[in-house]
Amino acid sequence: MDPDGLEEALDLSRDRSQYQGVYIYQPAKPGKSANEPPKKRRKVSSTGAQDPKSDSQQFIPLLNGEESAEGVQQRLNTYKQLWSEQEQKIQGILEDVDAGVLTDVLSFVRETSPQTCNGCIPTALVTVGSNVSSLSRLLSRLNDHLTSSGEGGVVVLESGDATNLKNSLKNVIRAAVTNTEGNDGYQKFLTDRAGPRVLGYDLDLLNDYVQRKGTKKLVIALRDSEAFDPALLTDLLSLFQSWLDRIPFTILLGISTSVELFETRLPRSCVSLLQGKHFEVQDAGNCVDRIYEALQTNPNGKLWIGRNITSTLFERASDYFQTPEAFSRMVKYACMSHFFANPLSALLGDSKRPELFQGRFIEAIRNLPSFRMYCEDLVEAGSPMEVRNLLENDRHLLEEVFNHLEIGQQRMRDIFQAVTLIHACLQHTQGTKKSTVSDLSVRALAGELGESQVVDDMLATVRAMDSEKLEGVLATLPAALSNDSTLAELKTDFGTLLETRPDQELLRSEYNINSSVTKTTVVQQRIQLSKGKANLSGQDLEYTKIIDRLVAALQEYFTEILIRPQELFMHEAFLFDLRNPLKDNFAPRPRFAIERAMGSPFDYLISSSDADQSQAKISAKQPAAAILYQLYLESGALVNVHDLWQAFLAIFESEEGNKCDERIVMALFYGALSDLKMFGMVKNASRKKADHLAKSAWLGL
Amino acid sequence: MQPVDVARSLSAQWPCREVQTQQLATLFNPHLPSSPTLVVHGISATCKSTIIRGVLSTLEVPHAVVRSSECITGRHLLTKILWNTLEALGQKDEWEKFGKGRCEHVSSLAVLLEECLATRTPEKRGKFVLVLDEIDRQREAPPTLLSALARLGEIIPSLCVVLVLSSTPRPMFLQNTAVPHISFPPYTRKEAIDILLASPVPTVEGLPDESSYHIYPHFVSTVYDTLIGPTVGSIPTFRAICQRLWPQFVAPVVQGESAPGGGTDWDFARLVVKNRVLFRHQGESALVHRIVPEESAASSKTIRTQFAPKAASSALPHLPYFSTLILTSAYLASHTPQRLDTIFFSKFSSSSLSARNKRAHHRRRLKVLSQAQAEERQAANDPSTPNKKGKRSKTRITKSTLSSAFATSSATTSATGGGGGITGPSTILTARPFPLERLLAVYHAVDPNPPANPIHTPAVSDQIYAELATLRRLRLVVPASGHHGGASMGSGNTSADAGEKWCVNVSGDWIGELAKGIGVEVGEWLAGGLD
Repeated sequence: MDPDGLEEALDLSRDRSQYQGVYIYQPAKPGKSANEPPKKRRKVSSTGAQDPKSDSQQFIPLLNGEESAEGVQQRLNTYKQLWSEQEQKIQGILEDVDAGVLTDVLSFVRETSPQTCNGCIPTALVTVGSNVSSLSRLLSRLNDHLTSSGEGGVVVLESGDATNLKNSLKNVIRAAVTNTEGNDGYQKFLTDRAGPRVLGYDLDLLNDYVQRKGTKKLVIALRDSEAFDPALLTDLLSLFQSWLDRIPFTILLGISTSVELFETRLPRSCVSLLQGKHFEVQDAGNCVDRIYEALQTNPNGKLWIGRNITSTLFERASDYFQTPEAFSRMVKYACMSHFFANPLSALLGDSKRPELFQGRFIEAIRNLPSFRMYCEDLVEAGSPMEVRNLLENDRHLLEEVFNHLEIGQQRMRDIFQAVTLIHACLQHTQGTKKSTVSDLSVRALAGELGESQVVDDMLATVRAMDSEKLEGVLATLPAALSNDSTLAELKTDFGTLLETRPDQELLRSEYNINSSVTKTTVVQQRIQLSKGKANLSGQDLEYTKIIDRLVAALQEYFTEILIRPQELFMHEAFLFDLRNPLKDNFAPRPRFAIERAMGSPFDYLISSSDADQSQAKISAKQPAAAILYQLYLESGALVNVHDLWQAFLAIFESEEGNKCDERIVMALFYGALSDLKMFGMVKNASRKKADHLAKSAWLGL
Repeated sequence: MQPVDVARSLSAQWPCREVQTQQLATLFNPHLPSSPTLVVHGISATCKSTIIRGVLSTLEVPHAVVRSSECITGRHLLTKILWNTLEALGQKDEWEKFGKGRCEHVSSLAVLLEECLATRTPEKRGKFVLVLDEIDRQREAPPTLLSALARLGEIIPSLCVVLVLSSTPRPMFLQNTAVPHISFPPYTRKEAIDILLASPVPTVEGLPDESSYHIYPHFVSTVYDTLIGPTVGSIPTFRAICQRLWPQFVAPVVQGESAPGGGTDWDFARLVVKNRVLFRHQGESALVHRIVPEESAASSKTIRTQFAPKAASSALPHLPYFSTLILTSAYLASHTPQRLDTIFFSKFSSSSLSARNKRAHHRRRLKVLSQAQAEERQAANDPSTPNKKGKRSKTRITKSTLSSAFATSSATTSATGGGGGITGPSTILTARPFPLERLLAVYHAVDPNPPANPIHTPAVSDQIYAELATLRRLRLVVPASGHHGGASMGSGNTSADAGEKWCVNVSGDWIGELAKGIGVEVGEWLAGGLD
């Protein structure tokens, strides 16, 4: 066997040389230097001229490549426009959520000083719960506030930066200086000082800086305080404390568990250095709900997320540590994949020129399930000519498509308006379990909300409302409903009723619990409870009538609005509901993939003969690592290496007979073993059993 | 100035340190040669550094003070000494002459110090005192640092080095004979009370001055006897507690409540009787410093409500579903002996009656065992019995442990839980490290909502890793250092080797509660859990 063939057999390619345990040494051939480092690529500054080209290539033409370039461009532009709007909205929500805590922390930082804390370091404990990312937002905004007012700044110290005392001090000092002066400013600061050169971790540097800038507050933020080594933290804090008379430190500790838990882990001497206040950042779940609500109930919305994706999104948000940012990234990905892979999404763009949508595009529309359903409905309704027209006349079809797109989008907006209305009314119930907007949305998107218990509950709530609450609800009714003539009438009636009532007392309907009276009668030593209506005033009766009318109107409204979105013609364009790319990308399964690749390598490799693929048996044609892995699966927790080797050799011997070169097989064996070791599947067993390997990964976990 | 005068002038501000002040003033007398080295020692908050500074500035002796706690390394300390000396001598601008402001070794420090002391103008040539504060706490100090610094004064005639220690020095710790030591003992009861009374009485609105002068001295001595004396508290804590308790103590007078004997004249004894609860609860909590101080009551009427359990605002954190489940499995893996895994977690034996009986049997045995261990531990903590570490009995149940456990099992059922705080209500006491694969296996066993078809929804393991990383960041689950020593404590290291073991790091009670929230009963799986 020549060296090249051998190399092929051992599957040695050069990029593996980093982690290879076993390889065949080949002296480098003179003249040919394969391992010479590649020439450094000249850095090409990206100019503006190159951008449009790379831009248009982000999206590829669909419909078998027959989509027009303009269509591609339209999809891209629409996506960009849509997402930038939504991103702004998300940012707004995030800032709004933090605003309360920010002002609290800011005022704490401004007001406290070591004097007010009995000589301890002023400390703000911020518990963030599972909402880990909110702290960094908070800190950057705190920093903006402090630097813009010239009071000082925020220095963020991560546990990764703080491996030992020297390093962490260096990082603190550098971060504090670069925060306002920039990186060059830091270098200048180091060199420009009068006097001898100072060590990088000397807090004298920071002191100098503070004196020079007139800093009043220097906030040291430990973002993940739990991850700090307690001994290091104690050292660091005691150092800060001894400098407290010269440098105005304030410590901000980000805590993900709880203050008590954190405090018990610190030594007493460390705790006694700190004194301060506890702040809580709002929980992530709430934030996620608000983002979702803002995205879906947008009155100008064009694209909606379907039911499957919604439930996937919220599953992840409730089951895992997930930040609101990660949530919005997932939404972004969903949105992007819609525009990336669905040619119909071009319809959502601003340009509606018919030239954009031709040929294959029209054909695609005619193949939609929703188109088929629409045609069937038309035939049933007795207008086959219309169907024929749609099938033959491209222009007519396009008109209808745009029409129905508008209608469908309006229906979606209505659905979500109804959802918000139901949600708002349910807030008035006394019950402990309240459905969130997300729950309601999932049901609405599945078309189940209309018949569900929730609507009944909501109507019952409306019935029991007193006049004050009703006033509020009427004011928030969606426009579609309040323009209705019956409702307008109802509103005026209600208004006059309110004006004519004698004093400002609340009106109650007969459904209200306060209006019914429970009578207790004792009949033959048995107690009978009977409910009767309390005497209602005339106005209350009037009010009851109004309530009845309102409930009837609402019922009608809900049955009309709450339909299955999947029944709308052209819902493929404005409703995105494919679970798969999202799930695969945000919850990958590398372990499963590795196990499968090792267990049945021909699922992935192209084999020369079909026989290899059909038989699941171990054969010598498989990669060595895969063979060894399958042998390894057969063994128990401890494997004798020699036994493994014998089994390995036997496979090769059985196929190649006497031609088998034991030395090459041995090399393969060693290579495979080192691969398994690299995967973390085997490790050396205890010292007593030096000739054994211990299994450290089991199949199917 | 005579030493007596110095002591007199300082004692107005820093009372009860006359002896030490006189000693120091004598030794630092600018007209007499002083000893080359001086050791000042005493526990913290005994006024060492303040008195030294006070004496030196009163006598107008040129001096430099270096706080050793602010120096990160030994080299840093030496450089600091040099600079502070230069600064004290007014030669700061001439730093380039003296080793370019750099000083890496004690020997070069001696040379440099000698040089800068020699360049002084003749009229300023006199004694120079170098005070090294808390020098025994120096980080990364070479072992010879102290004795080397003590020689500086011998090499340089005009220099006097003062070493301030906060621990009591061993004899001959400087490898040198006849170094004068000055001890700052902790304040006695009388001194502490005198110091407190020397400062003005904290003002309380509405309290007549006269009664405050009458009651305050009694109050201070009562606080000392109840809280400070037994806990060896320092003057600052003493003062803080007095300031905190005083307004609440006299609150009945201020609010004009009627005294028990009738009438409105309160004397000290009546106030004490009235405020017994205050001393018991407030006082004890005042001794323990917390980062977030409990809101001191605006009015003493609400004292009683303070003792009620605090609202749920400080409740333990809530984790996402999946993480909770992982944490629970980690806890179970940590607290179940590995050899019982097949009995507790095997799916094949889960339903049959015999298997359940078997499990219950093992739980009981382990519970008994854990109680026996608790006993043993208590006995080991007893100073009379020698502590035999490393030979802790594993899960072997010997006859003697069983019998001793049975003898006391009824009495100690609740005692085991209260002991550690780290362990759960009743388990094998210590959390043991477990490999990751075992965690996965336990996870599958305890999962309350197992996937309907395990073939189509495989491999939660990949998601487990991500969550485990977060749990590790929160220090709820930590890699067991084991044979790696403290190296794996480095927080930057996040690699998880296949064989690496992990260990749970929180209390079982909390995990039990969390697990209940997602529908897992920890006790059902745990050795010794349910009975």
